Amino acid sequence: MGPIQHQFNPYADNGGSILAISSSKFAVIAGDTRQSSGYNIETRTAKRVFQLTPEAAIAVQGFMGDAMNLVKRLKQRLEWYHHTHNEVPSLKSIARLVQTMLYGKRFFPYYSYVILAGIDRDGTGAVYSFDPVGSYERESCRAYGSAQSLVQPFLDNMVYKKNQVPDPSLPPPVPGQRPEFDLAEVQSLLTDAFTGAAERHIEVGDGLDVLVVEKDMEMRWVHLPLKRD
Amino acid sequence: MSIMELNGGSCIAMVGKGCVAIACDLRLGNQALTVACNFEKVFPATERTYYGLPGLASDTVTVRDKLRHRINLYAMKEERTIEPETFCHLVSSTLYERRFGPYFVEPVVAGLNSKDEPFIAATDLIGCINFAKDFVVSGTASEKLFGMAESLWEPDLEADDLFETISQTLLNAVDRDAYSGWGAVVWIIEKDKVTKRWLKARMD
Repeated sequence: MGPIQHQFNPYADNGGSILAISSSKFAVIAGDTRQSSGYNIETRTAKRVFQLTPEAAIAVQGFMGDAMNLVKRLKQRLEWYHHTHNEVPSLKSIARLVQTMLYGKRFFPYYSYVILAGIDRDGTGAVYSFDPVGSYERESCRAYGSAQSLVQPFLDNMVYKKNQVPDPSLPPPVPGQRPEFDLAEVQSLLTDAFTGAAERHIEVGDGLDVLVVEKDMEMRWVHLPLKRD
Repeated sequence: MSIMELNGGSCIAMVGKGCVAIACDLRLGNQALTVACNFEKVFPATERTYYGLPGLASDTVTVRDKLRHRINLYAMKEERTIEPETFCHLVSSTLYERRFGPYFVEPVVAGLNSKDEPFIAATDLIGCINFAKDFVVSGTASEKLFGMAESLWEPDLEADDLFETISQTLLNAVDRDAYSGWGAVVWIIEKDKVTKRWLKARMD
């Protein structure tokens, strides 16, 4: 028998999934409320989606210890920004701030996947997605977490209309133009994506928190139940 | 490196109203290198029962030949063609025979039985059968296929609608999987007709 060895692992995976979709006048950002550790459910009412400013929201997934700390310190930085500049930072600026905060821990990363969503200063809905060390990109939709591989192809199909041939009687789509949707349509895509994921992934379920960010309107929450099994 | 992911490839089967569909991609690869774009993974067992064998390509071919042998012996002995339910158990026992040195394939079976009822099933690599009433998936894109199928599939689709559903499910799933894609084939099995269609897919 060899010597007994101990190793401290600073990371864990707490499961769950997050998702954001944007259109020209709004953005929705959502996350399920199950937090798990292996086969164990730690809580059915975890919060993954947070409002940052009147026009920006964030969702986090991964190791919730890191994720929560990131959100806490990000909110603190936004407060300081307000104190020094006397204005609320734009979504674009928050995105760059998140990048520097994540890259600041390049060699001991926040094990968290981040999606930012909201209204940009040009008035359009926007989604920014990040990797754990800060590489980021503006997109129309993004799914992260344990069910991302179930949800992302569905979004490709329904949001970007991938593999669908457009009706020849309609004018051809302009390349690079942002998809136009109505809010009700996007919300039903969102619930379909999460009920599907809850059906087939054990780490997704319990509840769904949705933050709806509409242009010139106050942000609002929508809460929906998901399967608890 | 998992041996199930060496060559890549995926299969899916779905139930419709009086019909079934089975589809696969066409990729054969050596890890990240694509070697061929015409490697079909779906084969006929009888005129109205088809099965897909994604997994390790050499085992795909071996198991296909072994099953063809057993299907032919069954037909000679019983003087009738094999039912999909029976065939599924044949697949299962053929795989379990090799319990401790398995064939690295995860079969998908789809067909209409002699009462024209749709039947689909899938097994794991040692023959554990999953009788599903809706859809079954298999291969390197199986998670993506689950996500797509869970959202797109609905009960009692007519043959044409089932074709659209299974095609969209497969194409969008394999487009998010590096090991699958490079073309796709869909079989629609109806009471008195079997249709095979090649889909136009992304080749990257």
